[in-house]
Amino acid sequence: MGIYIARRLLGAVPLVLGIATIIFFVVNLAPGDPTALFFQQGVPPEILEQIRRNFGLDQPLHIRYWRWMIAFFTGDFGYSFAHARPVIDIIRETLPPTLVLAGSTLVLIFVSGVVVGVLQAVRQHRPVDRVLSVVSLFFYSMPSFWLGLMLMLLFSLKAHEWGLPFALPPTGMTSVDYEFMTFGERVVDRLRHLILPVATLSLVMAAGIARYTRGQMLEVIRQDYIRTARAKGLPEGRVVMKHALRNSLLPVITLLGLYLPLLFSGSVFVEVIFSWPGMGRVIVDGIFQRDYPLVMATSFIFALVVVIGSLVADILYAVADPRIRYD
Amino acid sequence: MRRSSGVDLVRYAVLLVGALALSGCPGPERERPGGTVIIGMRTDFGGLNPITNTGLTTDHVMKYGLFTPLIQYDEDLNPVPHLAESWEMHGDTAVTFTLRDDVRWHDGQPVTAHDVEFTFDMAKTPETASLLASAYLAPVESAQVLDERTIRFDFAYPHAQALEDFWWPPVPRHLLEGVPPAEMANAPFNRNPVGSGPYRFREWRAAQRIVFEANPDYPEGLGGPPSAQRVVFRVVPEAATRLTELLTGGVHIQLNVEPDQVQRVEQTAATELHAAPGTTLFYVGWNNQRQPFTDARVRRAMTLAIDRQQIMDALLRGHARPATSTIPPWHRYSPGTDPLPYDPDQAGRLLDDAGWLEGPDGVRRSPDGQPLRFRLMTTERALNRAIVEVIQDQLRRVGAAAQIEILEFQAMLAQHRTRDFDAVLSNWVLDNFQMASAPRSLFHSAEADVEGSANRSGVRNAELDRLIEAGAVATDDGDALDIWRQFTEVLQREQPFTFMFWMDDLSGARDVVSGFRTDERSEFVSMRDWSVQ
Repeated sequence: MGIYIARRLLGAVPLVLGIATIIFFVVNLAPGDPTALFFQQGVPPEILEQIRRNFGLDQPLHIRYWRWMIAFFTGDFGYSFAHARPVIDIIRETLPPTLVLAGSTLVLIFVSGVVVGVLQAVRQHRPVDRVLSVVSLFFYSMPSFWLGLMLMLLFSLKAHEWGLPFALPPTGMTSVDYEFMTFGERVVDRLRHLILPVATLSLVMAAGIARYTRGQMLEVIRQDYIRTARAKGLPEGRVVMKHALRNSLLPVITLLGLYLPLLFSGSVFVEVIFSWPGMGRVIVDGIFQRDYPLVMATSFIFALVVVIGSLVADILYAVADPRIRYD
Repeated sequence: MRRSSGVDLVRYAVLLVGALALSGCPGPERERPGGTVIIGMRTDFGGLNPITNTGLTTDHVMKYGLFTPLIQYDEDLNPVPHLAESWEMHGDTAVTFTLRDDVRWHDGQPVTAHDVEFTFDMAKTPETASLLASAYLAPVESAQVLDERTIRFDFAYPHAQALEDFWWPPVPRHLLEGVPPAEMANAPFNRNPVGSGPYRFREWRAAQRIVFEANPDYPEGLGGPPSAQRVVFRVVPEAATRLTELLTGGVHIQLNVEPDQVQRVEQTAATELHAAPGTTLFYVGWNNQRQPFTDARVRRAMTLAIDRQQIMDALLRGHARPATSTIPPWHRYSPGTDPLPYDPDQAGRLLDDAGWLEGPDGVRRSPDGQPLRFRLMTTERALNRAIVEVIQDQLRRVGAAAQIEILEFQAMLAQHRTRDFDAVLSNWVLDNFQMASAPRSLFHSAEADVEGSANRSGVRNAELDRLIEAGAVATDDGDALDIWRQFTEVLQREQPFTFMFWMDDLSGARDVVSGFRTDERSEFVSMRDWSVQ
């Protein structure tokens, strides 16, 4: 196992280097210019030239590439052009909100996806199964951007207009008077802000997991050992929870690795819609502003999280299923 | 074993919750302040340093909130004393300012002539690459401190609106003098600024919010401390979400209301629309160096064929004013010239004259058989897309086939800058009120072939050159008005652009807000008076 992990880690090094290289060239070769969004449209070209020099953009591409790679892997992410401060500071501020969003979503989608999937499997072809199938297909096929706006319209704007007590705040991570709240109020405030973005991200993805779990369960339930368990008189609950669910959850673990990229790309949209102060927001702004150092560093962090996440998923799979051997 | 680890977990959880609860416990200053005004904005600020700032909203927030500029503008856009309590012009060659003695930096140090001189010198240093210098200081040669409160500026040459060169605030020398010019843009000060204005900087959370608080020591002579205790700027990038925040009370003031949101803001009982004459000029830039737009008759025909009033009424819901040049209709230098009428028949005759005759498929052709077909590009903004669609339809009726190309802003700008385009719907935002600067950037032939210059349409016209140069040095308002009248007439004849309209600045405010006014100067002009019940 230790050897396996070490080998996977070693294998990740060229992958990460390749990702960094691709990010560098995609970002730097896109048409545009970090000085383009300046308010003064008549800036004399020589001043723009000086600003580019201050940014280090007067160097040829291959020199910038080497400089960046070397600085990057010694932990120096450089200065953001648009924010005019070290990129590492921006990441330090915006990564935690993204992890909170992605983490809550991850827990929620697996728990609710598995629950719904199991429910559907044990009630196959009954009304519950049919209704849940339609509902999960409905959410599964929904673009998260649109779903987010609709949820906001309903639970924030309309709920507010109708004077409902549960009207949710449409954007942000905390209220502006957060620092003046008591601890209890703070917890409630954070949860209220978390509901809509997490719901948007979760509904689409939980639907996928539910469908997958349902399929797995139905396959396992037909196995001989389930029939044996029932034949020896075990109560149905134990059969489902202990014998069937455990075995059908194994492949669901691999979904974890597959869902991580989806989770982070989805969070980019959700962060923009709900004005969540995370890294996805910063990437989007950075792309429009051609803030090269910022976009490179943040995309790289996302890539790194995904690579590590997939690795963890694979290891978890090995831990959960002793039949899997890694030689 | 198992049990005890479970108990441990519970114990840790209790400890953790306890610690968190303690950290959130009431401190001494835990009273909720009344009078917090929350304002919703599209993008985060760059850095709060007047020398290296590159954003227009940031510029205004610094001039009206965080810092104290040398001069300010009154309602009629005349310069009035501010940090400088008086001045003396030495003919057309120099000015001496006397500063107020009661303005202090937020760390308690007095604002002196040395700060002003430091700011000037730093901005003028080429390595700083300061937009403050390029916007205001090109005609100012040097600064000289006469005493703590007196500073003299010498001009490089006599020029129009010379006092308005000083609509910028100084920065504190004692906090910034160690910073090398090339690193001024990245100075830590910019994220944690010490200002001199009615509001003090309090807190900045990236992509989330910036908090200002009232400066209780702001001098009475400049209006005294502001009405609100705190102003919170919230960053909400999505237009639809920003509107939702305004409608549900998550923000009190929303800037940049889009024209298609106007109705919603007006119809909601708790919100009110504020429309003020704006500084954003919409225009169609024709590539004056490329067929068929090398011919002024064709450009005139395009303008005559575009029903600008209809676009203003239908797409902007009337929140726009006709444009004839880069001088807005509300400025004292505006000659009040009427724009070309909407007259498709005359447009047709002009195109006939220019040799573009009706073809079998409805598209006009030149004598050598070239169709009158060109690309018309713009950005993804919904308003821009709607406008180019209307233009395309109107031009089709006179036999011109515009092919719409929607591009991401940066991609569009790259083509515009390299003059690799036929026609573009774009806009120009005035970043100051000195009327000679936009004409010089946009239309002077000296810039027509310079790579990356603002004369992206490649305009070359000796008459325009002469008038632009004369306008820049006209020190008498009457002369200036006369020059800009002639300038506007030449533009009307030549139509290097089709001047579409000046869009109003649209903002929404909730009824709990008082003191929110906007006018052509800025959306932040009344920032001192904002308050919330």
